[in-house]
Amino acid sequence: MSISKVMPILAVACVLLSGCSTARWTVKPHQRELLADRIMQPDGNAQETAADDHVLSNREGAIGGSGTSGGGCGCN
Amino acid sequence: MRLQLRPPLRRLAAFAGAALCVSALLVAPARATQDAAARLTLFREPSSANAGISVVHPQLDLGTTIGPDFHFAAGYEVDIVSGATPSVYRVDAVSTATKFSDTRHQVHGALAYQRPSSAWSFGYSYGWESDYRSSAVTGTTTSDLLDHNFTVGLSYTHNFDRVCDANNSNIGDQPLDLKPLTLSTHCFGSETDVTTHKLAIDTFQPSLSWTATPKLLLQLGSTIQILDGFQSNPYRSVLVGMQSRTPQERLPEFRQRYAVFARAVYALPAVRGSGLFMARLYEDTWAVQAATGEVVLNKYFGPGLLVTLRGRYHLQSGASFYRDARGYLELGPAGQYWTGDRELSPMSNYLTGGKLAFIRHPGQERSSWYVDMELDVKYELLIYHLDAADAPNADRARAHIVQGAFSLRF
Repeated sequence: MSISKVMPILAVACVLLSGCSTARWTVKPHQRELLADRIMQPDGNAQETAADDHVLSNREGAIGGSGTSGGGCGCN
Repeated sequence: MRLQLRPPLRRLAAFAGAALCVSALLVAPARATQDAAARLTLFREPSSANAGISVVHPQLDLGTTIGPDFHFAAGYEVDIVSGATPSVYRVDAVSTATKFSDTRHQVHGALAYQRPSSAWSFGYSYGWESDYRSSAVTGTTTSDLLDHNFTVGLSYTHNFDRVCDANNSNIGDQPLDLKPLTLSTHCFGSETDVTTHKLAIDTFQPSLSWTATPKLLLQLGSTIQILDGFQSNPYRSVLVGMQSRTPQERLPEFRQRYAVFARAVYALPAVRGSGLFMARLYEDTWAVQAATGEVVLNKYFGPGLLVTLRGRYHLQSGASFYRDARGYLELGPAGQYWTGDRELSPMSNYLTGGKLAFIRHPGQERSSWYVDMELDVKYELLIYHLDAADAPNADRARAHIVQGAFSLRF
């Protein structure tokens, strides 16, 4: 891949990352009341997720997408 | 058969006991938290022609904090599978289905170290059944960035699996002469009529979570899996060609699988609820491509009832060497591989269902021996759509999933 093709991607990445570091893009601790609720945790119950994955992974040709390694709202 | 504590289970039990003792000693000043969860899943896939498939799947998980930074968890689960399946995949195979039953056990344990902005965990699991052994080690790390607004995660698992098979060492270079395994009685023993194949599985799962707004959480993630070793069903044969030859199912020994997914969770405070949306794309080196979408809606009713509704749709293409039973009969194998596995056929499925969760917290005004407890009841219906009347398991068009669970933190 040539530099001319890489540069626009880098430029967009820099804009996005710099935007992330601004206060306007961050959610403050006192704004996390809703995010702390269990219904906002996509992987809230590991045992239930494991059981559901076990059923579907044996009946579909695809894997993945049911969870992430950790993650969450950073509510602790 | 009498269930005995095998060496891995004994080691895990000793580890769990030691961890609980250390927990009690270390956390005398500050109260430790223990958690226990039991779950029973009943899976029933009825057939229009035979007994279908039934699975009973109990799970038990225990966990405890060890000091302020560590958490140890251990669990045990069983799959008790029974029903009837055809041993040869061919046209009108359902009429030749034979009854079977098998039991799979698995124990697992994990130790996690948690800091305010990062966490590490290491786990081990061991599974065994009459014809399969599985050992897996897992390492996971997460780091929070930018005031906890981003979480980067990476998980890696390596499986050291072993599969029992009929000893086909005498067939030379003639895969159409492969004989299937008929009984697992001699597996993992010293008899020479069976042999053991290795299967190594490496799974990487990077992810990124972003707390986008006070109401919105976004996730991007990927799964990369590499399988190297024996992946066929050793019992299954496929009728290929017009000469009535029924060799054992034969799959490539190497497979790379890739999936990317995005998830969004949005809070709906006006109705005390939330909505989760998931989209996944998948592709592998056997030419299976898939797209999956899912919606989950949650809503509280009163102080202790949570209702969850779930809908999911999955669509996939077949593997490059897949043919339906009539295709294998009339056209022969597609290259040097053949299969009768529904997972490798072009298909779609729908899943719909709901869950009731009864949650109880002690009143804040008084102390209590527990932190919270929960009772769950769930039902889901899975409907398959296959592309041909002679596709694998075409007689089993739907499955019922019933689940009950109880969990306690104290």
